[in-house]
Amino acid sequence: MGIIETQGLTKRYGQVTALEGLDLVLDDGVTGLVGANGAGKSTLIKILLGLLGATQGTAQVFGHDIRAEGAQIRTLVGYMPEHDCLPPDVRAIDFVVHMARMSGLPPTAARERAADVLRHVGLAEERYRLMGGYSTGMKQRAKLAQALVHDPRLVFLDEPTNGLDPAARDDMLALVSKIGREFGISVLVTSHLLGELERVSDHVVVLDGGRLLRSSATTEFTSDTGLLLVEVLGDGDAQTAMGERLAAHGIPCRPRGQLIEINAPGRADLHDLIRDTAVEVGVGLVRLAADHRRIEDVFREGAGHGAAH
Amino acid sequence: MAQPTEGPRSGVIHDIGYRPYTGPRLGTGAAARSLFVTGLLNAYGIGRSGRAKGLPMTLLAMMLVPAAIMVAVMVTLGLTEGFLDYGSYPVTLMLVIVIFVAAQAPVLFSRDLRSGAISLYLARPLPATSYALVRWASLFVAILVFIGLPVTVLYVGALTAEADVSEHTGDYLAAMVGIVLLSAVLATLSGLVAAHTRRRGLAVGVTIIALLVSTGVVSAVQAITSQQGNETAGLVVGLLSPFSLVDGVQAELLGGQSSFMVPPDTTGWGLLYLVVCLAVVAAGLWLLVRYYRKQAGR
Repeated sequence: MGIIETQGLTKRYGQVTALEGLDLVLDDGVTGLVGANGAGKSTLIKILLGLLGATQGTAQVFGHDIRAEGAQIRTLVGYMPEHDCLPPDVRAIDFVVHMARMSGLPPTAARERAADVLRHVGLAEERYRLMGGYSTGMKQRAKLAQALVHDPRLVFLDEPTNGLDPAARDDMLALVSKIGREFGISVLVTSHLLGELERVSDHVVVLDGGRLLRSSATTEFTSDTGLLLVEVLGDGDAQTAMGERLAAHGIPCRPRGQLIEINAPGRADLHDLIRDTAVEVGVGLVRLAADHRRIEDVFREGAGHGAAH
Repeated sequence: MAQPTEGPRSGVIHDIGYRPYTGPRLGTGAAARSLFVTGLLNAYGIGRSGRAKGLPMTLLAMMLVPAAIMVAVMVTLGLTEGFLDYGSYPVTLMLVIVIFVAAQAPVLFSRDLRSGAISLYLARPLPATSYALVRWASLFVAILVFIGLPVTVLYVGALTAEADVSEHTGDYLAAMVGIVLLSAVLATLSGLVAAHTRRRGLAVGVTIIALLVSTGVVSAVQAITSQQGNETAGLVVGLLSPFSLVDGVQAELLGGQSSFMVPPDTTGWGLLYLVVCLAVVAAGLWLLVRYYRKQAGR
């Protein structure tokens, strides 16, 4: 059984549909939730936390129903919202201790864990400063600390890399990955940047306009497509010459940017044939590589698919 | 183990290994108590920035100084009879109370909404309803301490000046019941304003104006109607300000002295004043709870 399961989860705001018939089963580990702004990522998280009511459908987190057992779910999960959520006139240490107490930790344990967690997210001496004076990167760390302080079994991280510079972004992604792999806390992390999630998550869920586009392991997204990519170099229009010759040999191919995409899976002599063809045409063979998918491709296919309807 | 931070670059992630928490987890009751205490301390600026302590502490001192002077006078001159009126102390220092209430209600009701921290609270086990009620309780007790402390100082001072214990105890307790009611009404009204305006400056302004203007209107209208001999109109107008409302209850039902021109003179009017007090608190709490339940979806 998955840690998160949804059945036909739908959320409408008047005429606007934020989520449409979402069926999901998510296991532990790091799960990336991808979608454009407004795809329904934050709405899904809020429904799972029991903060928003679903219009239709049901969902369970750790087997607890979102409608009836919201309080139990909220003891087991941590939440880092997308927007600002830190009072400016409080020190990070005091705030994180307070939040630990709000999750039911006794006073001494709350203080110990707050200090520990702030160290883990990389707030050292800064934790004794008022949070109003924090940079965006420090605020994101403090937000993450309050989500982890009660040692949840699952954390929802809504756009944790938002507004960070590239170095801070890398640090945050490393931290997210660490939470999932070393801390043993499952993570549901959202982003509108696909490349980021490709790096940290075991599993990726793609939402588009409130619908589930795809949910599968990250390795599947980046699997071999069965296509071969060839790049040639030579006088004049080497690419066209090579392509025409390949077609003459009965190999289906088409140009893709500066490359030639060859779609002939299962032909054992394909590599030799390409090499020989290149020699015939008199061009230099620069690259001959298997084509790997990227998460973006799924998005593009899915969006194109949706438009065709 | 923890390594020292290297160089000027902040945010180095130390690798000390993650320790899961296996200890006890207390229920929502403990969380509510913690929220209550934190809120109460925050209302006096404790646990917040140094600057946040300035105003509440200054105002508290302003509340206590007259009481301290009166105690000094009582003790040195041995004045104990007819010198003290516990019930009128809050009305005399109304301006200080109004400023405290207006300035500190936003600490408990606007701050979380404005900073967005409300979503962190609501993502934790304590339900929105309990959150709203606990916030109100913090403000209520903060105001109760603010008004009740100087009155208690007066009472203790009177006892040290060897005043009549039974008489003073009766007066003091009656005044304290009135102060509890006043604190509840003020907490409810200022909390509602602060939650709905969200901006501290706006909330402060609206609360001060509402409380002072309503009390001013009551005094003015009562002065006019009593000259015209229309007592009923004066009594009805007295329902409009929290200060005259609670003053009426403690004057008629608790045997205190009124500080307003037209206090209720029958038990019926006294009861009506009491019912209006309680209705304001009940309706206000219902609105607050409803408001915070809506915040969950934001």
